[in-house]
Amino acid sequence: MTGNTHDAAAVRVEGLSRRYGDVRALDAVDVTLDRGITGLLGPNGAGKTTLLSILATVNEPDAGLVSVFGLNPRDRSERVEIRRRLGFLPQELGYHRHFTVAAFLDYVAILKEIVDRRRRAEEVARVLAAVGMERFGRRRIRTLSGGYRQRLAIAQALLGSPQLLILDEPTAGLDTEQRLRFRELLSNQPGDPVVVLSTHQADDVAAICPRVVVMLEGRIAFTGTPAALADRADGHVWIADERDERAYVSWRDSENRWRHIGERPPGGRDIVTPSVEDGYLLLCHAADAR
Amino acid sequence: MMQPLFGAPEPSSRTYWHPGADVLSGYAEGAVDEIGRWSVETHLQSCSACRAAVSAHVDRARLARNRAVVLAMTATPDVGVLSRAASRCGIPDHVLRLMAATPSLRRSWLLAVVGVLTVVTGEAVLARDLWPGGGRVVAGGAGRPGLTELAPFLLVGPLLALAGVAAAFLPVLDPSYRLAVAAPISGVRLLLIRSLSALLGALMPVVCAAVVMPGPSWLPVAVLLPSLAVCAIALAALTTVGPTTAVIAAGAAWVAPLVWLGVTRFPAEVIQGDGQILSALVLIVATLVMYLRRDRLEMGLVR
Repeated sequence: MTGNTHDAAAVRVEGLSRRYGDVRALDAVDVTLDRGITGLLGPNGAGKTTLLSILATVNEPDAGLVSVFGLNPRDRSERVEIRRRLGFLPQELGYHRHFTVAAFLDYVAILKEIVDRRRRAEEVARVLAAVGMERFGRRRIRTLSGGYRQRLAIAQALLGSPQLLILDEPTAGLDTEQRLRFRELLSNQPGDPVVVLSTHQADDVAAICPRVVVMLEGRIAFTGTPAALADRADGHVWIADERDERAYVSWRDSENRWRHIGERPPGGRDIVTPSVEDGYLLLCHAADAR
Repeated sequence: MMQPLFGAPEPSSRTYWHPGADVLSGYAEGAVDEIGRWSVETHLQSCSACRAAVSAHVDRARLARNRAVVLAMTATPDVGVLSRAASRCGIPDHVLRLMAATPSLRRSWLLAVVGVLTVVTGEAVLARDLWPGGGRVVAGGAGRPGLTELAPFLLVGPLLALAGVAAAFLPVLDPSYRLAVAAPISGVRLLLIRSLSALLGALMPVVCAAVVMPGPSWLPVAVLLPSLAVCAIALAALTTVGPTTAVIAAGAAWVAPLVWLGVTRFPAEVIQGDGQILSALVLIVATLVMYLRRDRLEMGLVR
């Protein structure tokens, strides 16, 4: 069976559950992912990595359905077809440290069934240029800084111009400039791939994701646009000169005033326009309160 | 193809003909056939005017891409003497590179294997030469000269082969394990490429050690079948249990009978007549299991 690569919902997940012993990592998750970038937000242990590893076919659910471009990962041949269209950056990517940068990418290209040496070299050159590491091909991986290793991790995911790009915390370890370059890189991916970007950085989501999914305790807590997530906190974010003990979360802002997130405060407070992060924090608090 | 000159020839030039502008632009774009390319290149060696003219036609972006590709190719050089030898045997380049990522084919691993075998062999030689009776005293084994001191080698040899194969698929030893699982390359194929190459890499020093061991002349051959059987048990077990459990089970399947024979009878029996037949049977059954459950072998990587 060949899947339709231009389904309205390219990735569909229904009733997905996964347990690790007594821990319920995913609890009847339903979500659809369209082409374009979807940000996946959630605290540690929310089930993001489990969901992404199932989508990337490296893990199997206990129950539920997964459809990627109309293909079923439980079927062996369809699973291979999904993998042919996949670029995957796991949360903790290890390296063969004795490899050079180019040799590592070459190795991953072979894993992706690019056997012709010239074509592999073209792909390696392309992704190295994409992450700004053209001059690093001969460098041993063990000599790279953390930021460059993360760039290399992103580069390997781009090999073969995948139609489904699953990135588990790709901006971890990147400095501000590198994060901006990463946003630019992701926004310019050819072929309009499905990109799933798991992150703790709400500003990354606000900057490049037209759609955001929030996971809490193994469930989908929110699906919508970043603006809609921010709107969740409308009227719940205020600024005051003193710390308000009734707020769920408070911190000093750049003007040395207290920014609060919580239930609507009594009159006389400075209500401010909420950000995506405010909406996310409010959702997290609501989950904690349950 | 060659057209009358569009500029004066250099004094040193031996040609009085120059390629036309259309030929030079075609050459720069890679659109000229092979004979035309040779002609232009021969001419360019002696004509600076045409070299300058070619430069004007060069697509800089294409040139930069080609340069990047060449740099990428030179940054992934051939992977060693053994690989070059394998290449001459017809093993494709991409298979060699998959093998290069196998931990048990790395120099440090092979040196460790050689180190262990040196210790075991040395111990056996000392036992033969220094112990009373020159190692010919055999507990309950009259008529089997020189076999008692083989026990450490019999224990270690097949286990070293197993360790080499285990290193080819144990997630803890493959830093890019998750990438390999998520890749479209056949998990079975990858597993077999790595395991067989690791097995060969491990068996060579084991067999070499068996040659210099103070045992019977058939020892190098006798140790092969049990080693293959133990590795096959591990691969067959992978279709049912996780990698670590599979390795432990295979190791136990070798150590337990050896220790039992050591305590009750004579350890070298494990590689003699009945032991060889049993090893052959185990090898056949394990290979059958691997073949029949190859789907699970693929899924075995997913655990």
